[in-house]
Amino acid sequence: MKTAQEFRSGQVMDINGEPWVVLKADFNKSGRNASVMKMKLKNLLTGSTQETVFKADDKFEPIILERRKVTYSYFADPLYVFMDEDYNPVEVEKENLGDALNYISDGMEEECEATFYEGKAISVELPIVISRTVAYTEPSVRGDTSGKVMKVAKLENGFELSVAAFVEIGEAIDIDTRTGEFKGRSKS
Amino acid sequence: MNNTAPQSTKNNWHLFCKVIDNYGDIGVCWRLAQQLVGAHHKTVTLWVDNLHSFNAICPEVNPQQSWQQVCGVNVGHWSEPFETESFNKSERLSTADVVIEAFACELPSSVLDAMKAQAQQPVWINLEYLSAESWVEDFHTMPSPVHGMTKYFYFPGFTEKTGGLLWQPELLALPELMQTKSAKQLLFKELDVKTEFAEQEILISLFAYENPQVQGLLEALSQSEVPISLLVPQGRISEEVSLWLQQLIALGESVTKGAVTVTALPFMSQPQYDRLLAACDINFVRGEESFVRAQMLGIPMLWHIYEQQENAHIIKLEAFLSRYLKQAPFELAEQLQNTFLAWNQPTKESPDWLLLLKSLDKWKVHARSWQQQQKSVGDLATNLVKYTENTL
Repeated sequence: MKTAQEFRSGQVMDINGEPWVVLKADFNKSGRNASVMKMKLKNLLTGSTQETVFKADDKFEPIILERRKVTYSYFADPLYVFMDEDYNPVEVEKENLGDALNYISDGMEEECEATFYEGKAISVELPIVISRTVAYTEPSVRGDTSGKVMKVAKLENGFELSVAAFVEIGEAIDIDTRTGEFKGRSKS
Repeated sequence: MNNTAPQSTKNNWHLFCKVIDNYGDIGVCWRLAQQLVGAHHKTVTLWVDNLHSFNAICPEVNPQQSWQQVCGVNVGHWSEPFETESFNKSERLSTADVVIEAFACELPSSVLDAMKAQAQQPVWINLEYLSAESWVEDFHTMPSPVHGMTKYFYFPGFTEKTGGLLWQPELLALPELMQTKSAKQLLFKELDVKTEFAEQEILISLFAYENPQVQGLLEALSQSEVPISLLVPQGRISEEVSLWLQQLIALGESVTKGAVTVTALPFMSQPQYDRLLAACDINFVRGEESFVRAQMLGIPMLWHIYEQQENAHIIKLEAFLSRYLKQAPFELAEQLQNTFLAWNQPTKESPDWLLLLKSLDKWKVHARSWQQQQKSVGDLATNLVKYTENTL
């Protein structure tokens, strides 16, 4: 068991039987040398966030989450199936993919990281930057190579994002998976 | 049209109090319990671990009795282990609508179990320590999911974003009542004080922790141009007062040295102490309970804050002063800032007490203004009742 005071951002605590990751922790001294903590927490199962206060010496069980490298295999409705390094299938529910869903496509080869809680995959993280092919976008306007004018492009899986006006259909582009931002043409 | 207010659904309150040191814990809890019963018609059970301390501030409490009714409040002895008393305490808790742990005390596990077992779990409140620091506003009423339930932190404070201070309307009227000679004489007769006080004297009460600054204070008061009567309730500062006088004073007796007459008062009940504060021109107070009373009486007060590790108490004192002195006249604010800080830091030079006394009239005006400001926040008991009824 650890006290509330001992938990840091990024660490996971068991609160009333559920895993909550500490996003932010503020510490203050109250009275008689006692202290209180205000924490912003995110539920790893539901994704909900909440702000809470604890006595600094309230005790909680820390949760050490398992993480494994996986690659995408296929979609078996309603589950997305990945494979770990030992060729074991890892099934992930759609709602647990979060923004990663925007970039899942058949044949993708990027190595992802799956997080497990009690043997169940609760999230998958893609690499920070990935390369995807533009399936459709409006033709570019001749002469505009500044990159400052943006237009909408659609990926093969249907996900839409803003890209520079000079991007053409069939071009490979780099995307920041944390923000969905277009980063530039992919270097071959 | 039906104009009656909605009936309260949270009538059965349990308040848990652990006496750590001094009389502040039980002092605050006892006042809160009485207000919840008297002003808000709640059924209140006050669980206290130290009935002897309780008896000191409320002689009606029998320290040998584990269950009793005092002034309309059920008083239970919080013994450990909690569940092995002759009556089933868990049964008494089975209908609790609100459970308050005062000053973050740990509830017994059997109480937590009884709360969890209720079909409708009670509202669980941690009534925290008073502080003027701004972070309190962010923490006030925040949930705390622990032990399979959710507790809520409730902070007393000085702004509308906190729970306010613990006071009742009758307290505000007390200074006017106590300014008459007869009211003062009645109080001192009750306290078996033999000295007669002249009307032109400045009356000062002294209630503090051990404090080397008291030597400088007494020395300065002895040189005052105006006669001063220093009333010292029996307590932690008594020894240092005797040191300055170079003699012990029997309770009820007085010793005069220069312009100051020091009178030793016996330990007194809460109502008597309120009257003492209301009768004085300046009150030296300490901790939380007397600190709040003195402010809400609208009388000049000087605060000895509870010392904490790493000087955390000085940060809290400064936070209070920044609020307390915000609208005070500049010179008075400067004097009070220096005096409060020196009173709480023994290594600091003794403040100019006599200069401060010369500002007494301005200080009185400021104290009344501060009282009115705090009055507008509402009182803690009422705010707490509203919170539990309307929010939870």
